[in-house]
Amino acid sequence: MTPSSALWLSIVLGSFAQIFLKKGVTRNAKASGGYLALLRSAWVWLWAVCFFIATALWLVALSRIQLSYAFPLLSSGYVIVALLSTFFLKERISWMRWLAILVISLGIAVTWGSA
Amino acid sequence: MQSEVLRKPLRLDRPANGHSPAQALPWQFAALGAILLASAGHLLIKLGLNTAVHGSIPGTAVANAFHTLLQPALILGLGIYGIGTLLWISAVSRRNISFLYPLTALNYVIVSMGGLLWFGERISMGRWAGIAIVVIGVALLQLSSGEDQ
Repeated sequence: MTPSSALWLSIVLGSFAQIFLKKGVTRNAKASGGYLALLRSAWVWLWAVCFFIATALWLVALSRIQLSYAFPLLSSGYVIVALLSTFFLKERISWMRWLAILVISLGIAVTWGSA
Repeated sequence: MQSEVLRKPLRLDRPANGHSPAQALPWQFAALGAILLASAGHLLIKLGLNTAVHGSIPGTAVANAFHTLLQPALILGLGIYGIGTLLWISAVSRRNISFLYPLTALNYVIVSMGGLLWFGERISMGRWAGIAIVVIGVALLQLSSGEDQ
């Protein structure tokens, strides 16, 4: 696996992880029992696995790619999570929120694109 | 206990019972706490790694790995990061992910400030500009916060 594909896979898996977590805790919000009850949710386990693999891939990528190249790409995660949330969670995103997400992504890209 | 929650499905921001930490905190506290603890965790991990590098002794890779992993600051940082993750779960259970996830961009702002104050890392003009843009974006996000739950 090339460092670049490890980086992209990390970003996409990390984005899916947030969607899985939302699925898991939303279902569990109906049942009480706190954090331990979350362990019964397959979505929460899926989140944990994706989060772990994404972190490992991120470290693999970082060991071979410059930070100033890797971090700006990380900002695409905000857009990916937003897109996934409209598809899989049916979240409605207003133009104001899209604008906010794009501005934040731009800010991250500028922050880490400039050494 | 379950019926109590079902009777008030729209009031998940209030503790449904005394044993439900995922629902006990106001979401603002949970979200900001998660972000602050994640940032503090990252800075402590960095401190632990710095200490490990300075104190590393010539030896086997395994010995050096143990030396790194046993740094108190690193262990504390991972623990704090873990608590931050629990708070994050609490926040995610109550707000849209399309609203909460972009908030985590504040991590970059806080960690940059921490790097400046704690490790004396320089922040270039370009990086300051990026930080300012992120803060503007979070303010815009806040403007969109009343639209959903």
